[in-house]
Amino acid sequence: MASLSLEETARGLSPATLDALVESIGEGAVSLDARREAFARFEELAPPDIPSGRYWKIDLAKQRYDDVVVQLDSHAASPSVAHVWSLGSILKDGDPELRATFDRVFRSTLDLTREKFAALTLAFQNCGAFVYVPAGIKLSKPIELTYVARGAGIFPYTVVLAGEGSECTVVERIVLEGSAPFVCAVAEVVAEPGARVDMTSILEPGAGRIFTTRRAKANRDSRLRWSVAELGGDLVVDSLHASMEERGAECEIGGVFFAAQAQHVALETQVDHTVGETRSETIVKGAATERGQGRYVGNIRIQPHAHQSDASLRDDSLLLSKSAHIDSIPALEIAANDVKAFHGATVGAIDEDEIFYAQSRGIPRREAERMIALGFFEPALARFPEGTRDHVRAALEQKLPETP
Amino acid sequence: MVSDLRVSVQENDILKGIDLRVEPGRVHALMGPNGSGKSTLAFAMAGHPNYVVNGGSVKIDGQELLELSPDKRARAGLFLSFQYPAAIPGVTVANFLRTARQAVRPDDLPPAKFRKLIFDQLELLDMDPAFLGRYVNDGFSGGEKKRLEMLQLAVLAPQYAVLDETDSGLDVDALRAVCGSVQALRAEPENKTGFLIITHYPRILQYIAPDAVHVMMDGRIVLSGGPELAHRIEREGYDAIRTEVAGGVA
Repeated sequence: MASLSLEETARGLSPATLDALVESIGEGAVSLDARREAFARFEELAPPDIPSGRYWKIDLAKQRYDDVVVQLDSHAASPSVAHVWSLGSILKDGDPELRATFDRVFRSTLDLTREKFAALTLAFQNCGAFVYVPAGIKLSKPIELTYVARGAGIFPYTVVLAGEGSECTVVERIVLEGSAPFVCAVAEVVAEPGARVDMTSILEPGAGRIFTTRRAKANRDSRLRWSVAELGGDLVVDSLHASMEERGAECEIGGVFFAAQAQHVALETQVDHTVGETRSETIVKGAATERGQGRYVGNIRIQPHAHQSDASLRDDSLLLSKSAHIDSIPALEIAANDVKAFHGATVGAIDEDEIFYAQSRGIPRREAERMIALGFFEPALARFPEGTRDHVRAALEQKLPETP
Repeated sequence: MVSDLRVSVQENDILKGIDLRVEPGRVHALMGPNGSGKSTLAFAMAGHPNYVVNGGSVKIDGQELLELSPDKRARAGLFLSFQYPAAIPGVTVANFLRTARQAVRPDDLPPAKFRKLIFDQLELLDMDPAFLGRYVNDGFSGGEKKRLEMLQLAVLAPQYAVLDETDSGLDVDALRAVCGSVQALRAEPENKTGFLIITHYPRILQYIAPDAVHVMMDGRIVLSGGPELAHRIEREGYDAIRTEVAGGVA
């Protein structure tokens, strides 16, 4: 819990800021040790390899973190979450049964020998939510989680456990306010056998640097859908992995991003077919305009013996200006024989024949371009929950050049 | 009205001086073998950027269309039904129809009447209303594409409509439905749409009776006449006409 007598923020990602954070939240020494260890790991590990050059201009290895102002008051960062948890409090004071449930997910999907930004979230975690849907419970309304970065650094940690046969929809929003917010987030989702989980993660428009690590595991006959929309951020590095751990599991990954002005957006998705008779479908629609830069890496991994896996990856990139650029890099590692795998990709400007067709119906060129550009995202947007689609559409439309 | 229209594509002269006048409410058929330049005429009239106009004029009520962008030509009253209409993934038929109607005839129809217009047309065209939620021409069959062209024709009710090979690739039922939609439009008392029906088979003309028939060969209109000309083409083929025209010149 935040203590009012303390400063609400501290500057720089450093051991001293960690001390202030732990004191502010009221966690003990055990937590501090764990956070320090995670921070050391963050400092050791290399960032994801994104070569900078003519188009992608930001060198991830040269990012500085001494100017990041860390939000010490958790409530300010999680206005929608009634019970704000911190790692220390749930690990130390939480009820043992809850703790055991939590531990079925917490850190279970991460690879801390590689994931630099997940380590940073573990170090500075100052807000988050634990969503636990017990076996057989079917939630009719979405659970909404909102994390707000008000010109300061937030480190949200979301844990979702969908029990056997349960159903839930979780909408997670990151809101960016002020001049230089910093967000380093982790979300871990586990779908127990037969569960249906619909995850949606929306990065709202705004400035700042955003690093996200999203990981999911789908167990027997479960169905997991994870849709992400990257609307804001000057620099966005998002990594989304879903692993099908048992037979009958299905994962659907959907992504939209739109890099405008000088935004740099890197999205990486990975689906792992660790066993056979699993199905995955990935659809990513990325656009760039003005000097916006995008990068999409789509991985499909089918392990040996994961026979009768069915994987498809469809990614399309739309370039709306000469200085805009998107790299699309598919990587299919298929080690089993008896599988179905599909990959299709396109990169290009709006098709002139489509524009002419719309114009021949009286629609002015600029309006036709906007309509077609917005339509480009629809196949991925169709996967978003009903209540979020219009919102994402409107935000995408805002980024298109104005109709004169 | 088209006069002395000359058009080239990639520096090849395709149209070598076309003169054609379609009066309001009348149906003209433009027939000719493949490669004679019929579709080039349609695209050039609509303003496709790949078609370079080297001379001539295309006017509606005295307004020169050739100076206008394709969308302004449509707003001036010209409609082209495409032989191969483009797909626009992600844009629903309903949204497209609404946007087009609003562009061509802003705010002239209350939403309820617009809705009725569309549903009446769907019925005429033997189309499921679910069609409205699909993406424009995306994954459509040949018949569905032509039905959508006719649906747009009805929604825009233009002054002049050029139907480019609307009959090609249609089975009898689809052809009947498509022509039924044109007949319904023509039957409306206030409608004065002039039609230019481009085809190389006389089949469509059994459903939509032309007032005049023109035969195009090698970028020129070589013969014009009444409906009987279409019957003659069916009986004798284009070669007989080609021979006759060549003989006449010689």
